[in-house]
Amino acid sequence: MTIILRSFLAFLRAAIGVMLQYRGEILLWAVWGLVNPAVLYAMWSAAAESQADKTVAGFDRGQFAAYYFCIMIVGHLTTAWDAYELGYFIRSGRLSAMLLRPILPIWDALATNLSYKITTLAFVAPMWAIFFWIIKPTFTAGAWQLTLGIVATVLAGLLNFLLGYVVALVAFWSPRLDAIGETYFGVGVLFGGRFAPLAALPAILSPIAAVLPFRWMFDFPARLLMGQIVEPAEALGGIACQLAWLAGIVVAFRFGWAAAVKRYTAVSG
Amino acid sequence: MPQIEVNNLSKTFRVPEREAGLWASLRSVLRRSMREVRAVDHVSFTVEQGEIVGFLGPNGAGKTTTLKMLSGLLHPNDGKAQVMGYVPWRRDSGYLQRISMLMGQRSQLHWDLPVVDSFLVHAAVYAIPKEQYQASLKELVDLLELGDLIKKQARSLSLGERMKCEICVSLLHRPQVLFLDEPTIGVDITMQARIREFISTYNRRYGATIILTSHYMADVTALCKRIIVIDHGRILFDGALEELSARLAPFKVIRIDLDRELDGYDFASLGEVLVREGRKVELRVPKRSAPLIAERLLSDLPILDLTIQDPPIEDVIARAFGGGRPAAESASSTDGDAGSA
Repeated sequence: MTIILRSFLAFLRAAIGVMLQYRGEILLWAVWGLVNPAVLYAMWSAAAESQADKTVAGFDRGQFAAYYFCIMIVGHLTTAWDAYELGYFIRSGRLSAMLLRPILPIWDALATNLSYKITTLAFVAPMWAIFFWIIKPTFTAGAWQLTLGIVATVLAGLLNFLLGYVVALVAFWSPRLDAIGETYFGVGVLFGGRFAPLAALPAILSPIAAVLPFRWMFDFPARLLMGQIVEPAEALGGIACQLAWLAGIVVAFRFGWAAAVKRYTAVSG
Repeated sequence: MPQIEVNNLSKTFRVPEREAGLWASLRSVLRRSMREVRAVDHVSFTVEQGEIVGFLGPNGAGKTTTLKMLSGLLHPNDGKAQVMGYVPWRRDSGYLQRISMLMGQRSQLHWDLPVVDSFLVHAAVYAIPKEQYQASLKELVDLLELGDLIKKQARSLSLGERMKCEICVSLLHRPQVLFLDEPTIGVDITMQARIREFISTYNRRYGATIILTSHYMADVTALCKRIIVIDHGRILFDGALEELSARLAPFKVIRIDLDRELDGYDFASLGEVLVREGRKVELRVPKRSAPLIAERLLSDLPILDLTIQDPPIEDVIARAFGGGRPAAESASSTDGDAGSA
């Protein structure tokens, strides 16, 4: 365990060093992460304002503002891109060098993921503040909701990272994974509540959203942070669901990884 | 007890294939045709601790696939192997900490960081104690003459500089078994010699076992007393270098660039004419006669440039084994060697 922790910290230091080499690029990625929820907020708030009761699916303008402000933060803190990247590592042969090390490559990927969030925080935090000031969200969260919301966001980040990595294992069978990465991202946007709050989804899609893990990655922590979840039991139940999904995905990773490395053909190196 | 034991190791890849053209491309959408390629075919050998063994063979012979199986990157379809008592493809972390594989065309360095930052990551991953890291680093920097190179970004290094740094990072944890796949590929002759010298020193100093593949005969002759020749996934020869040299490469290739085209000169009387295109001529001549023939060419002809080289390894092996396939008698004798080595 000490070796894993020491290696993880070394990966993290190196990854931060790499991120700082590409300040311009990571700034653009961070801005892109803000644009998406800002546009959706504008769209849904306009829709709410046009209704007679000034609400859509129970959300008024101020609640949409709070929801998309939280989605903006949760989306940034839970972002993961291994569903795209692992296929590239396999195709280019870079994975071979990683597999020769006495530590699983996923630790390196996790450190790189964390480094992005650390290095971009200085850029995005002021933008969050400006967005907050412009849209004037309606927050009703108390201390316990914020505390559990932070825990839920951390778990959501782990969930999205791990599930993305498990999906990425498909690349060992079919290295052109870009389409699968896009599909994973699109399904997450729709069924995670990033495109619209889950309460606003058509009735036919709601049961699908209920059984998929994406709601626990975005919708649940965002609603907890904005104060829409008012019962502690519901909040704790949600965190328990996150933990259950995490446990399941860790098991899937262990089996999936064992099968994947057996399948590895070490092309291009 | 041998440090590396390989018994009937085989690896087959399934690769898609199709004819050229759009029509074949469309057909492959409906029905994908796969072909099985046996990259390694029941290979057996052993290597004692401290040995340096050269793996030779043409492109696609199975050398790198064998090394990848021994380093744990690939799972074999059949056969057994043990290295230091470990089964490589179980990828035990204890095993991976005691080996290193250097792939000439693959980088272990972080492209965007100073090289020394990659070394620090390596030290953490391999749990190298601080004192050992400092000592190893100093020793390797001195031996490889790295100097201030380690403070430069990896992407700004020349190929030769990068190879030296790759070797350095591969050896920081002092591996007991080294798999070197084309360690001198793409670097100039001076650097090749320096890398060879370094590998030899590392082997002597730490008693490390080394298997190396190379297309350069000079790498092999400088480092390896024992050679394993592999082609089409099968071992064709396993034995002493002297035996291999005498049997496989008793000739040199002389290449000349003439000042002008000459029609009447009888090159065939000097050796086998491999190429004769305009002002370029290439001759295969007996190794012992090469200096004399070169001298004669220089005195007889208006020569702009003349080089004497070892023949390409593919050429040597193809000639010695009848187009790359083992002749009946050599197969029986050498496979026997391989099995008992």
